[in-house]
Amino acid sequence: MATSFVPLHQINGCFTYPRPEIKYNRCHFRGRGLSPTPCPKYRLRPTNASVETPPFPLFQPPPLEESPSQLEPADPDFYKIGYVRSMRAYGIDFKEGPDGFGVYASKDVEPLRRARVIMEIPLELMLTIRQKLPWMFFPDIVPLGHPIFDIINSTNPETDWDLRLACLLLYALDRDDNFWQLYGDFLPSADECTSLLLATEDDLSLLQDPDLASTMRNQRRRALEFWEKNWHSGVPLKIKRLARDPERFIWAVSIAQSRCINMQVRIGALVQDANMLIPYADMLNHSFQPNCFLHWRFKDRMVEVMINAGQRIKKGEEMTIDYMSGQQNHLLMQRYGFSSSVLQNPWDVIPFSGNAHIHLDSFLSVFNISGLPGEYYHNSQLADKGNNFVNGAVIAAARTLPTWSDGDVPPIPSMERKAVKELQEECQQILAQFPTTSAEDQKLLDSMPEARRTLETAIKYRLHRKLFIEKVIEALDIYQECILF
Amino acid sequence: MSSLSVNFLCQERCATAGKTGYNHLQTSSIGYFPAGILQVRIGLNKVSKRANSFPCVKCEKKDEPIEHVSVERPPYYSYMDSTSGQLEPASGARASIPEEEYWPEGTASRVRAARAPEPTGTSAGSPSYGKSPGSRRKKYKTPAASQSSQVSIEPSETVVPEIVEDTVDDPKDSTLDYVIYQTEPKEDEETGYELDKKFGRPHPFIDPKVKKPMEEPLTSEELWWNWRKPEKEQWSRWQRRRPDVEMVFLKAMAETGQVKLYGEIPTLTETSLYRARRHLFKEERLKAEQERLERIGPMAYYSEWVKAWKRDTSREAIQKHFEETGEDENAQLIEMFSYQTDREYRIMMGTDVRIRRDPLAMRMREDQIKQIWGGDPVYPTVNYIQDPDEVIDYRGPDFHEPTPNMLAHLKEHGKIISREELEKILAKEKTEELEMTDIDDAMARAVDIGENEDDEEEDGEVDGEGGEEEKITRNWSVLKSTPQLRKSKAKPKKEEPMSLEEAVDDSENLTDFLMDFEEEE
Repeated sequence: MATSFVPLHQINGCFTYPRPEIKYNRCHFRGRGLSPTPCPKYRLRPTNASVETPPFPLFQPPPLEESPSQLEPADPDFYKIGYVRSMRAYGIDFKEGPDGFGVYASKDVEPLRRARVIMEIPLELMLTIRQKLPWMFFPDIVPLGHPIFDIINSTNPETDWDLRLACLLLYALDRDDNFWQLYGDFLPSADECTSLLLATEDDLSLLQDPDLASTMRNQRRRALEFWEKNWHSGVPLKIKRLARDPERFIWAVSIAQSRCINMQVRIGALVQDANMLIPYADMLNHSFQPNCFLHWRFKDRMVEVMINAGQRIKKGEEMTIDYMSGQQNHLLMQRYGFSSSVLQNPWDVIPFSGNAHIHLDSFLSVFNISGLPGEYYHNSQLADKGNNFVNGAVIAAARTLPTWSDGDVPPIPSMERKAVKELQEECQQILAQFPTTSAEDQKLLDSMPEARRTLETAIKYRLHRKLFIEKVIEALDIYQECILF
Repeated sequence: MSSLSVNFLCQERCATAGKTGYNHLQTSSIGYFPAGILQVRIGLNKVSKRANSFPCVKCEKKDEPIEHVSVERPPYYSYMDSTSGQLEPASGARASIPEEEYWPEGTASRVRAARAPEPTGTSAGSPSYGKSPGSRRKKYKTPAASQSSQVSIEPSETVVPEIVEDTVDDPKDSTLDYVIYQTEPKEDEETGYELDKKFGRPHPFIDPKVKKPMEEPLTSEELWWNWRKPEKEQWSRWQRRRPDVEMVFLKAMAETGQVKLYGEIPTLTETSLYRARRHLFKEERLKAEQERLERIGPMAYYSEWVKAWKRDTSREAIQKHFEETGEDENAQLIEMFSYQTDREYRIMMGTDVRIRRDPLAMRMREDQIKQIWGGDPVYPTVNYIQDPDEVIDYRGPDFHEPTPNMLAHLKEHGKIISREELEKILAKEKTEELEMTDIDDAMARAVDIGENEDDEEEDGEVDGEGGEEEKITRNWSVLKSTPQLRKSKAKPKKEEPMSLEEAVDDSENLTDFLMDFEEEE
């Protein structure tokens, strides 16, 4: 397979965009100038053709093997309802695949000096809440006079942002002239949403991650309590019709959690941290090597989705942004309901205990990983063309494996081997702690084509975890072999 | 120009070549002519007319259709103007719209948004307006099952909109395509008042259905044009007391605690009292100073401002010094003042701006100072605004005292003396003068003016009399102002016809006898 074209990995804090910065992606171009694969490059060839990503619109980019015929263009109304309200999309198509919506380039884009806008969404279409008091809405959606206003008022803006957004979403879905009434038809419904909030108990138990399970349980309980408190039987009809049953409310909370975008937004003279539900930009999927980013245009109060400067895009390539950068898998899972497929999360962590340390520099050199510790990347100029082994998992390994590095002190091969062996044993132990192996998980996935989304997600999550650990073991093997060089 | 040369070339060639070559050249040369250059054409016509002798040189055929230059825009948008040497638009219209680099910010994005193509395509489903979120997504399960599920999806999709259609009249988006015409709204039948109005029958002015009952007329208190006392006492800012010097000073003094006021702002009474007091204090102080000056003498007084003068300045010492050195007080003062420094001099004269004259004025706050003396002359302050109707009070502190008797007052202070005293003084002055001018004893005796002298001396010497009378004549002004003298003379004249002797006695001077007697009688 042709060598991959590697952009630098972007690290920003959480999925919050600092105010007027435009991030520039410095790419590394191959000498040949080819840009073969449009997808993020760190991945193993998947063992099967089925998608391992959850069908939520915020999902990992589909692997290359997915034939483009599976992606159908979305309903033309989807863009039309936005176009009428002065939202614009330039050079992209909204396509739907088995995993939900995705945004794909409809033409080639040369690497340019400036970031190109591919979507611009006006403020009027968004649902925004400020993260601090006094909270501000965009005037259209201020529920003044509606009792939902008091409900939102009673929440704590710092911690209950998802509940607030959920209330606002439900209210917007109820208002007759609101855009979200039209757009809500394109949001994932309750059975399509992969957020774990909607997962049942056995789904959670299938996670094989007790912490995450308990976290999700807490979240669900919290949402339920909120619903019970504010939607008890005595509430006026205006509120009652917003969420007649707790499932709808929890669906709204899951939508709010997974599609919320935190941006620093300047309106007028005020810079505010806003939680925003942005209509078309939330159809963008996540990637660890994104090619787009979000930008707030202060002049006419629009959110722009812009292609990274210097990024070459082929036709049909998926547009992706970075949701939460630098976070582990389980956080991604918790918030967005997906886990990093094909072992691409370079920030995953394995809790190693023990004293075994390997030499960092030699590990990095074996896999040709360069860059600062905060931004490791696979320097494919150094590696030979055929090496596809290194992907995000290896980079994550480089981060999580206990390493030592002491200037010019060379590693002692025997000690290194010992350390490697110890680490591998630890990994095996961790793997053994899981009730199932990865192969079994994979088989399980294959055997349930029509499983519930959350079930699928849960299984995928644990599968990925195991795969990650296996990958680490493999990487350590390779390291061990190359240690003498 | 090139075309001209071509023409000439054509001529030459035509001259040499035959007629057959002419057409070719003609067409080729016609090709050279640009559409707008008619002058060359005209020149060409002339040329061709001159060269008519060569039939091959005809460049214009009669039957050739006249080339009508239509009023189209020239094919070029701009050209290099030969006069100005700059690029000029062809039609003289406005200059071209600047490039994108010159657009104001935001224009590029607006243009791009406007140029973005409209989405085409119609949708199969219809919106559910919030009822069923996710209804318009294509629901895929897995790729393997997609084919099977697609069939099931479609009917479900069609089912769902059917259900939804009941609740919704039109999908909102489809209304964008069509213009909906409103049918003529039909009116309700008019009855009663409206009918009357329509037909012109007598009707009240106001529709009794919509008529509101008349409200109670407002009381005079409520009427807006009624002069009411406003809630605040002053209805205009002009009514507040203008801050004049005394008021501000008094307020500042009250703030520093020197004076106790009844309230915050000093009232008129307090201000006038302050003025009176200040005046009296000033007078007192001045008097005291003056009195001190008189008491201790100038040397001691002014030595206060001459620090370097250490000597004794009492009156006795000055006297002693005078006796010793002969320098009187003035000279000693001069010497003392030569020891005075410049600063002390300025302090003494009170003309130094660097030395604080009024500690209260220096210590006043900005706004207080501004109230009296105004602020920056360039940027005026509030004080600059003056009340045109202001009545300035010039009354002094003793305004309420009765008008004094000026005469008695002046007399009391010695500024005026009575006429009698004046006469006395004058008389004294005059007497002294005559004493000084007596020459001999007889004259000395005769000088004594008085009616006693005249009555006593009947056989007075002519000289003496003459002298006396001369004296009197010389001081005729005295005679005018002293009626007694004149009276003494005039009285015996009027009594009886006099004898010669009496006449001689009575005559003022001997010249009376020398004069015409007609005058006597």
